[in-house]
Amino acid sequence: MAAWDSFYRQLITLEGYKNVLQGLLNTAYIAVFGLLIGMMIGCLLATTKILPQKKWYVKVLSRFTDGYVALFRGTPMVVQLLIIHFVLFPALGIHISSVVEAIIAFGLNSGAYVSEIMRGGILSVDKGQTEAGRALGFGYGKTMLKIVLPQAIKNVIPTLGNEFITLLKETSVVSFIAVVDITKAFQNIANSTYEYIVPYIVLALCYLVIVLIVTGLIKLVERRLRAGDRN
Amino acid sequence: MIEIKNVYKYFNSLKVLKGVSTEIKEGEKVVIIGPSGSGKSTLLRCMNLLEEPTYGEVWLDGKLITPPDPYLHREVIEASKTFVKMVGEALQEDPAKSEEEIFEEVYRTIRENDLLKRHEGGAYRAALKAIAKDNYVDINLARRQMGMVFQNVNLFNNMNVLNNLIAAPVGLKLKTREEATEMAMKLLTRIGLADKVEEYPQKLSGGQRQRIAIIRALCMEPRYMLFDEPTSALDPEMVGEVLQLMKELADDGMTMVIVTHEMGFAREVATRVIFMDEGVIAEEGTPDEIFHHPKNERLKDFLSKVL
Repeated sequence: MAAWDSFYRQLITLEGYKNVLQGLLNTAYIAVFGLLIGMMIGCLLATTKILPQKKWYVKVLSRFTDGYVALFRGTPMVVQLLIIHFVLFPALGIHISSVVEAIIAFGLNSGAYVSEIMRGGILSVDKGQTEAGRALGFGYGKTMLKIVLPQAIKNVIPTLGNEFITLLKETSVVSFIAVVDITKAFQNIANSTYEYIVPYIVLALCYLVIVLIVTGLIKLVERRLRAGDRN
Repeated sequence: MIEIKNVYKYFNSLKVLKGVSTEIKEGEKVVIIGPSGSGKSTLLRCMNLLEEPTYGEVWLDGKLITPPDPYLHREVIEASKTFVKMVGEALQEDPAKSEEEIFEEVYRTIRENDLLKRHEGGAYRAALKAIAKDNYVDINLARRQMGMVFQNVNLFNNMNVLNNLIAAPVGLKLKTREEATEMAMKLLTRIGLADKVEEYPQKLSGGQRQRIAIIRALCMEPRYMLFDEPTSALDPEMVGEVLQLMKELADDGMTMVIVTHEMGFAREVATRVIFMDEGVIAEEGTPDEIFHHPKNERLKDFLSKVL
């Protein structure tokens, strides 16, 4: 029980829990806002791929999206984080908190994945739905907004949930740029007590519980959206 | 009136329509028949521009809904550089000919041999633009005039029956929600499905779905109804109820264009039957002419297989 006792001492008596809670908060911030930014970027990028590829500027934007997705899917998240923190932002003279930097980095990265998810979701809606909308006199935009997107979003919720869970767990690398997230907080405890078993297992359990809660929420949303479906 | 002028439709190298011209007059019930792959559905879909013709024009009530086709307008061809050049050459070659003759000849040569190039000068562009401007109509406005019924129904899966019916009239601000709902309920009652108003399309039978798709189009109060094989994807026992509704519509005087394989229905309802084969209208006439006195060999062959 010596391992447990030293963990308890570090966490409660020496007020390590404050650090852990702050870490938990940072993890949540980065994951949630990262996904929100990712969804905004993703939707914009997906739009460039979905629009009829006739006008020259649509083609240019679509090429840009290809490049963006290739770049952010083709390099590791940690490397992107390091480049943003140590190269890009200093070069641009931007000085903001590391948490915000992490949110931006994860948002940019997630945008690449979300764009593909959204594109797939929109393509998964039967073409007949668009045709029916257009045939009734709806313009392209209204058909998308009223008919295609609601169905596409329903289709992408499971995959989007998956993306969120992946994102959430990937935030554990933010200690590379000196952000204290929940992983870093437990790492600090482990390092100061030289006892590794308890902190890391508790850490794993923390992630597990968070992910299970998120999974439950996603299922709830999905069930709501599927209310109109067959049975 | 819907006018189809010399419409061609190519899907890459596949030539589906190869020069189709016809008119749908007010009150007509035109049934289009023909073997699969003959371009029936494509022709119908060109009428409301779900497919854009590669060449040719579609006119709705005197308004051009496709981009103008230079080959169909003499004044456009006459404004082209190619025309000016060819007329000049022809005049030098044979000064004896009258100018009118030469004009006619060159015009025909250009039109028949597809001689217009990508860039034909400012006068040519201006002539095309003038036609487009004079006859312009927003395609979304034009489509409100033409209700369309699809083979695979295409009710909106994310809306219940009522919302399917009122989505367009309310969404396009043609009616208030109350007016649209009243009309939807009236039509639903007429087809005996008033109790399904809250259901989602997935829970209805194929025949019910298709009948609701028909009244969804009617909720826009269109002047024309286009039917693209409305019964082809249905179970046999549900075909009758859909045809019955279509027949009622016809009796009410709706102008209809129907692509179908239901020959009995065609014979009973049609005022004119168009037989399409390999991308052209091979024969057209009254149901009596088409079904009892066919002239075209392909039509005779086709009828012997389907009747």
